[in-house]
Amino acid sequence: MSSPVMSSPAPLEVAEPDTDAATETERPWVVIVWNDPINLMSYVTFVFQKLFGYSKAKATKLMLQVHHDGRAAVSSGTRSEAERDVFRLHEHGLWATMEQD
Amino acid sequence: MGAPFRRLRNGSVAVRLDEDERSLLAGLLDQLRELLGTDSPALRRLFPPPYGDDDERNAGYAVLAGAELVERRLAAIDTVLEGLELDQLDEEQALVWMRALNDLRLVLGTVLDITDDDSHPVVTEDNLATVAAYEHLGMLLDALVHALTP
Repeated sequence: MSSPVMSSPAPLEVAEPDTDAATETERPWVVIVWNDPINLMSYVTFVFQKLFGYSKAKATKLMLQVHHDGRAAVSSGTRSEAERDVFRLHEHGLWATMEQD
Repeated sequence: MGAPFRRLRNGSVAVRLDEDERSLLAGLLDQLRELLGTDSPALRRLFPPPYGDDDERNAGYAVLAGAELVERRLAAIDTVLEGLELDQLDEEQALVWMRALNDLRLVLGTVLDITDDDSHPVVTEDNLATVAAYEHLGMLLDALVHALTP
């Protein structure tokens, strides 16, 4: 089953929601950046600063986490928020995916 | 020789590229423009599937975001090509240059099959020019990132 990327606001009166479906939509999505052997460390750090407004210290820490652990969670939110962040990371050539917590 | 990119007091970035570097960039950007919109495996790193092994959601993202990502990459290529003779970039232009240089590196790195961190590609007679371009782009991109980093 696929849900729309930009979900519309819920109507005021809705049928009793399916419990699984409610859990599915409420659990936050986490944006993951994966280590890759091509992107420069300086570049990745700068992109984290620019896209998320992180301090240089926080951006560097995340970059090192990607480098050493292979992945790092860089942001989280609703599915459409996560997809927007993924898009901006892809625009900047970072290897980003998203998964539900 | 001075740094290829240097931040000026007015916030702009000074560009100092020689003719060889400008023609290298022009040639590579032309090639990337031809490649974009094809399904070449060399583009793999520019369009990663965001939903792991969820093929259906990946396909949905590709439809919605894929074309927009191609458009933005083509626009970035045009910005650099049109500005290749400039000796100063404003911050917005410099950020576009940064994305374009990184796109080129990602494609060349994919073509060279670079798979290990910190590894340098094995140089052969066949890939000599590609390796040289890859290494040079890395130097240019790093200089630009440092010029832009607050």
